[in-house]
Amino acid sequence: MTGFHWLLDGSIVGVYLLVTMAAGLAMRRYVGRVEDFLVAGREMDVFLGIASLAATEFGIVSCMYAAENGYKFGFAGATPGILMALAMLVVGLTGFCIKPLRDSGVITIPELIEKKFGPRIRWAAGVVIVLGGLLNMGVFLRVGGEFLVLVAGLDVKYLEIMMTVMLVGVAAYTILGGMLSVLVTDFLQFIVMSAGLIVVTILILYRTSWHTLVATVETKYGAGGFNPFLNENLGWSYVIFNALLNTAAVLTWQTTIARVLAARDTATGRKIYSRTSFFFVCRFLIPGVWGMAALAALGHVENTLHAMPRYLGMVVPPGLMGLLIAAMLAADMSTDSSYMLTWGSIIYNDILAPFRRTAWSERKGLIVNRFIVAMIGVFLLFYGLWYPLQGPLWNYLTITGTIYLASISTLLIAACYWSRANTWGAVACIVVSAVIPISFLVLQQYPPTTAWANRIGSDRFGIAAFVSSGVAMVVGSFLKNSLMPTISAEAKHA
Amino acid sequence: MPEHPIWWLLTMACIVWYSTITIYVSIKGAADIRHMTDRLSGRDDSQS
Repeated sequence: MTGFHWLLDGSIVGVYLLVTMAAGLAMRRYVGRVEDFLVAGREMDVFLGIASLAATEFGIVSCMYAAENGYKFGFAGATPGILMALAMLVVGLTGFCIKPLRDSGVITIPELIEKKFGPRIRWAAGVVIVLGGLLNMGVFLRVGGEFLVLVAGLDVKYLEIMMTVMLVGVAAYTILGGMLSVLVTDFLQFIVMSAGLIVVTILILYRTSWHTLVATVETKYGAGGFNPFLNENLGWSYVIFNALLNTAAVLTWQTTIARVLAARDTATGRKIYSRTSFFFVCRFLIPGVWGMAALAALGHVENTLHAMPRYLGMVVPPGLMGLLIAAMLAADMSTDSSYMLTWGSIIYNDILAPFRRTAWSERKGLIVNRFIVAMIGVFLLFYGLWYPLQGPLWNYLTITGTIYLASISTLLIAACYWSRANTWGAVACIVVSAVIPISFLVLQQYPPTTAWANRIGSDRFGIAAFVSSGVAMVVGSFLKNSLMPTISAEAKHA
Repeated sequence: MPEHPIWWLLTMACIVWYSTITIYVSIKGAADIRHMTDRLSGRDDSQS
């Protein structure tokens, strides 16, 4: 039994969905070129960028894993958010990598990588980005559907239907309006999402006092609930891996970097980063508080991912429940639309680049882009239905994200700042950083090696991927410079 | 001061900062959308 009231809460959700869909579809008339579709004609200003970045980076899936972190690790579970906020602030203030990237006028990161390493590396980088990104977002729909079913108290048999309806709605405006629809709907979704998050957090803190939260975490996890280094399930490897991962995400995560590339100019892109940075603390700590409140109220539960939505279903009253569900739908729709579009942009701009030797008309380009977004939607639907999630959600997301974050961040840094980097280093870097995380996923799914893979843990596999990626770039580049100095020198001059 | 003041301050900072930024961005972001659509319309007019 939950506080969901069909007439009251259903009306709130219905109005939200209608307004968002109408706004998203209305932007279609401004899309005349591929650049409008992929990067909003590079007309985005600071505040729209902040709203869009925040809405995109907070989906139901982020809410669920951050709450699960709070439930399982206490306040220490907010560590990834703090690390990401620091990374984003530093990158925004210094312009590290994002300045040369935006100054170059490219639409995607692989396009910049081509300038340094050639078209084949651009293509390979595109494949790696799409592989990592799609595996990562493959679980979004299921997790989002689970949340909505649990909070609203619906029958689990409706999960697939809810997932499909949600995806079709998001796909409709993304396919028609591209980045322009994504930005405008993100803005509306940011307002609804933020209102819901703030009101529900205040309600939870009112119901579960600060003292109860702290006492629960202290009783359950001791000092490790407040300090990640003292937590037996986190520790140094967790902190180091998350520092590397979040810095790489700030530099190269497709949905994040798309805001820099869609910004009016470099200064705007940097301001969006520095001014949004603290949001990433909120992104982990606010749902983390929900998770800790669920721990205080429910005690031990079998499925830790479901603790927070079950708790919300119990404590949020009718009326506010409609706002909460609208907020979470907003969060999820903004994330899904942006993910479909930005990963689609890599497929069009980089993976299909060899097939576009003669320039395509804007009309043909738009049709192909829309088709790609639709196909990503179909993939999400089927992958989301059958992939069995093993272990904590955050670990799955980080390890699939690492497939490309490790190599692409290394390639980007080398392309921007290391003149001696070359194709050998780039190839070695891409191979190494894809093989290590994929090995972990395979070993974890294969019963005889599951225990071994889990004993080593996703954090150590992740650190190995980042370190090996950098080493592979340096060793590969030095090898080529030493063994084939003439070719390297010619390439450098070219 | 409440127990674990650093986490308390951070949690309160999240609520205050997030509430403030939501209102501010809602107002300024709407203006950004208007300017963006104006520019896009103007560009289309000049091109045609």
